[in-house]
Amino acid sequence: MSLLRVCAFTSKRLNTQLLFVDLSFAGCLRTASGAAKDKEPLRKAKTPQGRFDMDDEKPKDPLQKFPDDVNPATKEQGGPRGPEPTRYGDWERKGRCVDF
Amino acid sequence: MLFCAYKPLTNAIVAVKRNVIDCIPRNVLLLNKHSDRQISQYPVVDHHFDAVVVGAGGAGLRAAFGLSEAGFNTACVTKLFPTRSHTVAAQGGINAALGNMEADDWRWHFYDTVKGSDWLGDQDAIHYMTEQAPASVVELENFGMPFSRTEDGKIYQRAFGGQSLKFGKGGQAHRCCCVADRTGHSLLHTLYGRSLRFDTSYFVEYFALDLLMEDGECKGVIAFCMEDGSIHRFRSKNTVIATGGYGRTYFSCTSAHTSTGDGNAMVTRAGLPCQDLEFVQFHPTGIYGAGCLITEGCRGEGGILINSEGERFMERYAPNAKDLASRDVVSRSMTIEIREGRGCGPEKDHVYLQLHHLPPQQLAVRLPGISETAMIFAGVEVTKEPIPVLPTVHYNMGGVPTNYKGQVITHVGGEDKVVPGLYACGEAACASVHGANRLGANSLLDLVVFGRACALTIAETGTPGEKLSPLKPNAGEESVANLDKIRFAEGTIRTSEIRLNMQKTMQNHAAVFRTGDLLKEGCDKMDAIYQSMEDIKTFDRGIVWNTDLVESLELQNLMLNAVQTIHSAEARKESRGAHAREDYQDRMDELDYAKPLAGQEKKSFDQHWRKHTLSTVDIKTGKVTLGYRPVIDRSLDQEECSAIPPAIRSY
Repeated sequence: MSLLRVCAFTSKRLNTQLLFVDLSFAGCLRTASGAAKDKEPLRKAKTPQGRFDMDDEKPKDPLQKFPDDVNPATKEQGGPRGPEPTRYGDWERKGRCVDF
Repeated sequence: MLFCAYKPLTNAIVAVKRNVIDCIPRNVLLLNKHSDRQISQYPVVDHHFDAVVVGAGGAGLRAAFGLSEAGFNTACVTKLFPTRSHTVAAQGGINAALGNMEADDWRWHFYDTVKGSDWLGDQDAIHYMTEQAPASVVELENFGMPFSRTEDGKIYQRAFGGQSLKFGKGGQAHRCCCVADRTGHSLLHTLYGRSLRFDTSYFVEYFALDLLMEDGECKGVIAFCMEDGSIHRFRSKNTVIATGGYGRTYFSCTSAHTSTGDGNAMVTRAGLPCQDLEFVQFHPTGIYGAGCLITEGCRGEGGILINSEGERFMERYAPNAKDLASRDVVSRSMTIEIREGRGCGPEKDHVYLQLHHLPPQQLAVRLPGISETAMIFAGVEVTKEPIPVLPTVHYNMGGVPTNYKGQVITHVGGEDKVVPGLYACGEAACASVHGANRLGANSLLDLVVFGRACALTIAETGTPGEKLSPLKPNAGEESVANLDKIRFAEGTIRTSEIRLNMQKTMQNHAAVFRTGDLLKEGCDKMDAIYQSMEDIKTFDRGIVWNTDLVESLELQNLMLNAVQTIHSAEARKESRGAHAREDYQDRMDELDYAKPLAGQEKKSFDQHWRKHTLSTVDIKTGKVTLGYRPVIDRSLDQEECSAIPPAIRSY
């Protein structure tokens, strides 16, 4: 506990807002309490990045590539994947229309 | 206190007391601008080039390296890195009468384009574009653009964008060449890669403020470097504007946040007219808030549009076709529903596109990827909730008026007069090949053909290394004064608020549904919003990477485009192409082409509407003045390709 007090004392004395003092204080707290209480693995916060960490399986791309990149119906090489984009009169990809 | 903002490494907000002479290169002019509290000095650097291109999208890059290839010392001034320009979003293709799928002729493409433009397109420019199309596409392919191929190795062409054979009588034509589904992206990367072979000087992240005009001649561009806050004057005998469209004047648009019509505004501030700004192309189903378009295939597969009462309202407007009615009918119906108070959402400003009544398997097979799109852009689960949609802007047919060679023109004394030293190409220009309505896959063609045309015209009329005419030493002072005024603006309304007001007003009053009263009300509101720009408030006083300042300058540009659009729309009392009015539903040409022509008397120029609108703005008051110029009905060579006389446009 004395270690804690020392840390608190020094931080007040120094009176700075520097982050590394806070971190070291927190570090003191963890070591001072003996065995680390949290046995779970460290998790990232609920940031968008953190949310994606949970989901390991990548969603399958709805548009599959043709074998050898040749469209079997029209024999087009190097054309757009999936169903024909102009089938509805506009240029459609994944439900979006790009009209250019 | 001296603000020496020239060195990019030091924090420019900190006042640095140093001998100013140290950081100034040769040819620097110091301009003192006073604001209430501090003296700001803007170091100005002068550059001399043979040609300057403003904008580095498809058209800008093609012009820039065409000029470098011809030996001109070229600068390309752009506010975005070239491969980030909005051209990259184009997924469709380029139309060209190559004749790989069936026998084809560029004259049939010419006919389709003239008809699509509702006879407002200049037929000499359309002749030029469609005749050059095959050569341009082959040239792009030689540069390395990976078009998709047929089995024999020729470029694969598909049917897209209202193209027909034998002047409309021979069925569907296959003319659209594409690169998988990323034609625009590929075009941009091909052109950028090609341009690096020649020594074009790129000035990336330089925001062009104004044209340097003297005695009606364009002598260059003044730009602001966003990275370090210095001002640069690019002096040149030839300036090419390729800055793109101005979709961001509307609340719902597909364009990037950077499509702010900078070129149109620069031309307006120089006192020159802009042409046909009232022709704005809408798509009925764009996702609310995001601006992405939902394909018409959703409705084709059984999706329905519903209002706040859950009613399938298209049954009232088009009892037979219902949700499969033509685009303009659907857009207008949606707008009428919203105007009458049956819109959805907290602000009742959109409608819903419902797909959850369809079997999920069918959706997944017929429209793969739509659930992903709906989740990412609208945040809805498409099998459970409807998608919020509203009519969305995605192209501007109008812009800076040019002739078929790419030279900017103005109309004086009933004649077209070329403005020396100024050229324009791409979406920013109005050549006018799209007239009142653009056909799909023609816009990418427009970029490459007219980008090349500007380069060829400059190469013909000038020589590399020509001596520049003298420029007044304080040229560009007003632009810097304006920049300083915006940087230290201390009004009461923020930039974002004024911008939202303008966008909502334009979306409510100058969108798909246009009537006299609505437009008049919109004109008054827009004039008031224009005046409210005097009361603008900015927060960032720095000069290094000041995005508040740049967004406010972009807002000034958008405002000029918006007032011209709505006033031109209010004045044009007819319906033609993309400009459709409820109170004047017919086209008004010089002769009534619905009836036999014999015995009809030709209306005078003032009495009919088959003419281009030319609009100018008085910058201080915001007052828009409109003039008109006739449509060019002759093709470049009557023997090679005869012009198409006007007729009723029906598909």
